[in-house]
Order: sequence, then C-alpha cells, then structure tokens
Amino acid sequence: MTRSGWWRRFLVRGVFWRQLLRFAILNVPPWTEPIIMAFWSTFFLVWGPGRRGVMRNLKVIKPGSFALANVFRCYRVFWNYAWTIADNVRFKELRTIPDWEFSGREYFEEMQTREGAILLTAHMGSYDLGAQLFSETSARRIVMVRAPEIDPQTREFEEHHGAESLRIEFNTRATELALDLLETIREGGIVAIQGDRVTGSIGSLPATLFGKQTAVPAGPFALALAARVPIYPVFVVRLGRRRYRLITSRPIEIVRSRNRDDDFARAVGQWTDELERVIRACWFQWFTFEPHWPEQAA
Amino acid sequence: MNVVADRPAARWLPSRHRFALARLIGYLRLRRFRPEREQPEHLILAINRDQTDMEMHLVALWVFVTTTCYVAAALPFVLPLAIVLAIPLATIVIHLPIVVGGPLLRLMIGDGNHIKIVSMTTMALLLIASGYVATTATWARLVAWLFFAILIVNGASAVILWLLRGAIHAAEERCVR
Repeated sequence: MTRSGWWRRFLVRGVFWRQLLRFAILNVPPWTEPIIMAFWSTFFLVWGPGRRGVMRNLKVIKPGSFALANVFRCYRVFWNYAWTIADNVRFKELRTIPDWEFSGREYFEEMQTREGAILLTAHMGSYDLGAQLFSETSARRIVMVRAPEIDPQTREFEEHHGAESLRIEFNTRATELALDLLETIREGGIVAIQGDRVTGSIGSLPATLFGKQTAVPAGPFALALAARVPIYPVFVVRLGRRRYRLITSRPIEIVRSRNRDDDFARAVGQWTDELERVIRACWFQWFTFEPHWPEQAA
Repeated sequence: MNVVADRPAARWLPSRHRFALARLIGYLRLRRFRPEREQPEHLILAINRDQTDMEMHLVALWVFVTTTCYVAAALPFVLPLAIVLAIPLATIVIHLPIVVGGPLLRLMIGDGNHIKIVSMTTMALLLIASGYVATTATWARLVAWLFFAILIVNGASAVILWLLRGAIHAAEERCVR
C-alpha cells in the first residue's frame, strides 16, 4: 500500500471495518450488542450509494412504497446485515453457533446424499455462516464460489481469517474455475453459488424478477447441465438474534432438449420464482446494496 | 459448544440464559412447557449462556434507558431537549468502556476474547454511576433506584437458583436426554 492510499482502508469496503467488526466481536459484552448494532446501523445509513441502492430495490419489491417508509426499511436491511456479519465473525473467532431451524429438510438431506449437487443461494441472511457450518458438519466437500473483495487489503484480511474447512473460489477466472467445479461435482462434492446477482464480466442469462427484466449468473445452470446434477435452492434466513432458518426448496432439474435456451429459460424461471418468493417474504434480508435492475441503475 | 436437536423445550433451558432472573424465568417456563402447534421440521439449539434473544434485548434496553436518563439529568437543558441530546450521547458513553478498555486489554494481555473483563468493567461503571445518581436530588435518582431494585431482584433470583440447583439440573437433563 502506498502512503498516499492509506485512507482507502476507511472506505466502505476497506479493511478498517472488518478489523473493527472483529475487535467488536472480541470485546463487546452480549448484553450491550443491540445498542452497538443500532448505533452502527444508523452510522452506515450515511453511506449514500448503499442506501440509495437498497431504496431503489425496495421500490421494485414494494411498488408504490413511499421514500420515507423505505428509509426506515433500509435501516432494517442495514440492521439485519450488521447482525448477520457479526454472527459470521463470531462463529469464526469464538466458534459460537446460532440456533437453526430447517424447512424443506427432505430436499436438504437428499442433496447431502447425492453424488454431487449445486447449491444455489442468494445474498440473503447469513449465507457465509451457512456455508461454513455446512462445510464443517457435512460429509460432502463443499466449494463456495463468490465475487472477490474489491479492496486488496480486505481480501487479504478475509483470506487470513477465513474458515479452514471451507474452500472458496473467486469467479474471476471463468474457464479454469468451470473445469475445477465440474471436477468437484464429479467427485461427489457440492458447489455453492450465489445466483441473484451478476458481477463483473461473468456470463448471464435473461430473467424476470418482480415483473422486471434482469439477469442471473449463467454459471450454475451451465454447470448443472454439464454435470447432469440438480440445483438446490437454499436460503439462510435470519429469524432473530443468533437464530436462523435454513430453507431448502424443491430441486431444479435441467432436462436436456434440442433447444438449450429453452432448457435454461425453464430452470431460470423456476429459480427466480423461488428467489422472488423468499425476497418478498424477507425483503429486509436481501443484502444487495447496488440497484439490481438495469433500468434503475440507469 | 453443546447443541440439542429437536427439543423445542430446550429454548428455555436455564443454561441458555445469562442473568439469574432470566435463568429462573427460563426454569419456570421449562417446567410448564407446552409444545406449540407449528414446530419446525428440524431444530438445533445451541447451549450457550448468551443465546437468548429476549433477555439480551431487554437488558440492552434497560442499560440504554438508564444511561440516557443519567446523561439527560447531567445536561444543563430543559428536559425534552436534554433527552433528545442524551440519546446519541448515551450510545457513545456505552461505547467508551469497549473502545478504551479493549485496546488497553490488548496491550496488556494480547489479542483475543476480552468480553468477560469488558462486561464486568461496563457493569461496574454503571453501578458506580447509579450509586452516584441515587444520592443526588435529580429526577434521575428514581431511575438509579430502579436500577438497584432490579439488581436486588436478580440477586434474590440467584439465591433461589442456588437453592433449586438440584431440581434445575435434573430438569435440564430430562429435557436434553
């Protein structure tokens, strides 16, 4: 890091906030946590781009909603985000696990007994914590694919403090990664991918979410088709302090036909229906801080 | 970390609560537990003293309201304005033992889990502040007296818990078996 760039650590995606969170987890008494959370959730409301991104998304999820009401809803999103990232760090640092409820258990167990599967999730609730716990309790090998941190110091910090048992791959080297993931599935492992947001130059498929045109990553669908395995939609929803529900939905089977576009469109349709249902019920846990729909971004 | 699977009553295990009053309430709820109609398909509950939602939020609210009242009483403004100003100030005041104590502890005993020491320091500071406010002639003395009343009730709960320790242990064993 150059001397002139030292202040970058204080940018919203800078390493300072990760260090501060770790410090808080190791020093804040649990009975003052709600006060600290309320303060920092309010503080982060001054982060203009994040706040505006959430409010624009809320406008689509809740059509006809008032801007003032969405400011309070935005606060609720930030509040839930603060708790989920805190729970994630608490697990990594202190091995404190939350309470879990399961919904769609038969699908979850089916996924674990299969020889290879794709776990498709969204930026909802504590997806990181879910993946870590799953990797430590499941007999299956799990590989998580995600976008890398923008800030190099933050990336280094996360690599240093990451869970040892969870293998994380970054979606920056598309071709090599696709082959690695295919190999993981063929060896009976599970590949976890976030399928609600297209970042950078990764391949995408057209989709409709809340009646508006958008795109979802093409990777999980192409991988499912190539490996001939089903996709299991899994969501980790926060129910309260240190309490989560793991929702597993009916698997998405991609049946090969002569028209590959139609095969993908059917699978994407099933995924977005599921995603929309969960986001509609838990809009306050959809941690998408950029405008999701292209027309909003414009 | 211990966990209990598919035992909804385990939500009320005294071992999942921090303060004596909450542990006693937990024990009473555990004894009178009636399963709800709609149960999750599969439930995993962690046995950790800081696990419960209601207890921690209520204690946080109590600490926050108490601190806000003390700060408001110390401000030289009319009451409504003092309370409005006291709300953000109280939040900052509650941060102080953490942001001052945390780095000091790190300096003395190294990086790691200092929650217990910070927790005791914060509660001790609140106790000292309450002791001081209780002797003043301001309206906030009522809040300080309430603070001590809650401490006394918690202390009495601790005594009851000690007397019932055998029964509590047996009830917990029955629940998790």
